[in-house]
Amino acid sequence: MDGILQSLGVIFSFSGLAVLIIGALLGIVIGALPGLGPSIGLSLLIPFTYNLGPELSMLMMISLYTSAEYGGSISAILLSTPGTAAAAATAIDGYAMARKGKANEAISISLTASTVGGVFGGLALLLLAMPLASLALKFGPAGYFAVGIFGLTSVAALSGGSLVKGLVCAAFGLALATIGIDPIAGTPRFTFGLFELYEGVPFLAALIGLFAVSEALAMIESRVVAAPVIKDKVGHVFMSGALWKETWRSMLSGSVIGTLLGILPGVGGNIACWVARDYARARDRHPQEFGKGSANGIAAPEASNNATVGGALVPLLALGVPGSPTTAIMVGALIMHGLHPGPQLFTEAPSLVYAILFGTIIASLVQYAAGSLFLPLMARVMRLPDAVIAVGIMAFAVLGAFAIRNLMFDVYLMLGFGVVGYLMKKLRFPVAPIILAMVLGYLVESNYRTALVSSQGDYMIFITDPVSLLFLVLSLVSLLTPLWRRLQARRMRRLDGTANGAAH
Amino acid sequence: MTINRRTFGTRMAGSALGLALALSSVALPSPAVAAGFPEKSVTLVVWAGAGGALDTYGRKLAELLEKESGWTVKVDNRPGGSGAVGVSQIMTQPADGYNILVFTGTLTFGIAQGLIPFELKDFRMLRAMQSEPSSLAVLSDSPFKSVDDFVNYMKENPSGLKVGGHAPGGFHQYMLYQLMKSGGFESGWIPHDASGKVTLALLGKHIDAAMMTPSTGLAQVKSGDVRLLGISTDKRSEFLPDVPTFKELGYDIEGAVWRGIAVKAGTPDDVVDTIQAAVDKVTASEDWKKFQTEQFQDSPDWKEEEFTKRAESDLASQLEFLKANGYAQ
Repeated sequence: MDGILQSLGVIFSFSGLAVLIIGALLGIVIGALPGLGPSIGLSLLIPFTYNLGPELSMLMMISLYTSAEYGGSISAILLSTPGTAAAAATAIDGYAMARKGKANEAISISLTASTVGGVFGGLALLLLAMPLASLALKFGPAGYFAVGIFGLTSVAALSGGSLVKGLVCAAFGLALATIGIDPIAGTPRFTFGLFELYEGVPFLAALIGLFAVSEALAMIESRVVAAPVIKDKVGHVFMSGALWKETWRSMLSGSVIGTLLGILPGVGGNIACWVARDYARARDRHPQEFGKGSANGIAAPEASNNATVGGALVPLLALGVPGSPTTAIMVGALIMHGLHPGPQLFTEAPSLVYAILFGTIIASLVQYAAGSLFLPLMARVMRLPDAVIAVGIMAFAVLGAFAIRNLMFDVYLMLGFGVVGYLMKKLRFPVAPIILAMVLGYLVESNYRTALVSSQGDYMIFITDPVSLLFLVLSLVSLLTPLWRRLQARRMRRLDGTANGAAH
Repeated sequence: MTINRRTFGTRMAGSALGLALALSSVALPSPAVAAGFPEKSVTLVVWAGAGGALDTYGRKLAELLEKESGWTVKVDNRPGGSGAVGVSQIMTQPADGYNILVFTGTLTFGIAQGLIPFELKDFRMLRAMQSEPSSLAVLSDSPFKSVDDFVNYMKENPSGLKVGGHAPGGFHQYMLYQLMKSGGFESGWIPHDASGKVTLALLGKHIDAAMMTPSTGLAQVKSGDVRLLGISTDKRSEFLPDVPTFKELGYDIEGAVWRGIAVKAGTPDDVVDTIQAAVDKVTASEDWKKFQTEQFQDSPDWKEEEFTKRAESDLASQLEFLKANGYAQ
């Protein structure tokens, strides 16, 4: 009890609120800049947190982490340039909506959904940390493999018009994911002797090239010089009641998906955003709106990537093991203060633990306030003519690609992906399945092979492992549902036909 | 003849209010005179990304070099290529001591596997400053109470347990290989791509035993959920005095992953001496000792001669291990 009161005292002190606000503002900017994500943001922040004491430095880091997850959507919506990998799914509908002149509305949906997701993830962390952690331990290599397969089933939803084209792109993405050092044998594959490719094709370079540069090239080609007409009022921050009614379900489902996938090491927001979008689309009454600027296509992924923050902190607090690069940096910061994360912290430093627990929830609310300040400014970007936006996108793209590893190689690779993305656009191939397959390819392959190594080659492990079985069944359901719906629709039509025939 | 070439480096810099793109231009100096070393800022090229254990060490070293010797030190993260990116970075700069590589013991694995296209003689290995051992870990409810229990079981049931750890063909698997040779048993290896995942796999009973750095499962080791059967240090670790060493149990195994600094071969002796003197001041400082204790790091403090000798013998025995396990030809 004392711990709770003490922690609230720290959070609501002047310095507590100050670090939360500074963290949120930094997070939004860092998230919005492509190439700089929450983990780079936190590592830049660490030197400044030395003198803050453990509670304040954790609050600042959580605030930055949370807000960066939201910030990634801003550039995704305005420039079709996902600021973070977890904002990739948002770029599709967010940018489409912005091009319709509703950038303001798109960002306000993203901000609201991010806040809802963040609060939800924080509540789950506060109330369910221990049970969620034991859930995470149930996932072995077979389970992770099946989760990856489940994620891959959403390729169909990302394919736009042609499933064949979607599958071709997914196969291309999976092939790209095999480049790099073999996860089991440890030897380089398909690297053409380039050590820049040992860790695989840098995902952010592909993401920025395919999404952003291809869009900039398309803009240069188009002769439209004027800015799109702004339809909504700039300065409009709050979502309307009608929008709430339209999106609350996807925010909720996105929050649940984000929290659950967030607790799994190596999964996180990069994958949660796609799964959440796919689930929202499957449940939506107007699935055909997805890809053309659907509000739910923004709300679901944005709620999910912020909910992963609370989820990612679960293994850190309950087990003392960081589940993501970002939380690993937080461990580093705790060690700097002579503290080691884990369940013993609840007795050793209860006020710190509660500061993290409550801080996660409050950081989301602070993010909402900070985001509201930025929002009117951001939406003005859309008033710029295409020529200016195209140049801006290119500048951010080059900067972002270079920032990944300070390598020009990544910049050239990113530009190459930009050309590929542009050609794909011309031929009406969807780029999103490539991104999804690149994210999931490594997860699926490394865990498939690890599972078989640990079962000594026995394929039954994918059936006998309960988690694996569950997700493989879910994958089947996800694949068969659209087929079943189509059959159902055809039968209905036939029934209608015979009924009409009988009437005549 | 003095050649003045301007090199432009663009770096992302974090500032309190945001990020600014700073354009810096640095002119090459005329041949360094050690008495005046360093005449400009020294760059620590960290071959891993920001935020990890190596980066934490590099940044502390930078901070203390500035504090103790008044140098200006920049930290430049050059991750990628299993270290090859960082190595190339110092190899393409002049051998003047202004670019110091901050790297780990995986260097010898990288060279042995042919991943890092350089040899040990391309470096001057200046100092090993941190090291962490490997240990054999099981869950508290495991029937194995000692290394002997484990070894005897594996002798009777070859590859009968799921043993895993961080990375394929890396340090921890190498330590298991040494244990296999010393104990006379066979075991498979289940690689994990992050050390935290090893602890989770052990806790979730997806593996039966792990070879891991004790500090990666520290909370569980302290709470007793994870039992360490043996540790690969020479003498008992001051951080884990209750854990027996493999050596005292009769298995002649010793090894640690070190972190240290190196410069390009050909760097003049007087410059190296100046760097060594500055590092001595760092390792003697209270700040450094406190940092090492907080990070659960042993301080090998091997100087150039011993460091080089150890790296050479590591390379030879790792090459044998990698060949025996099909990781290298």
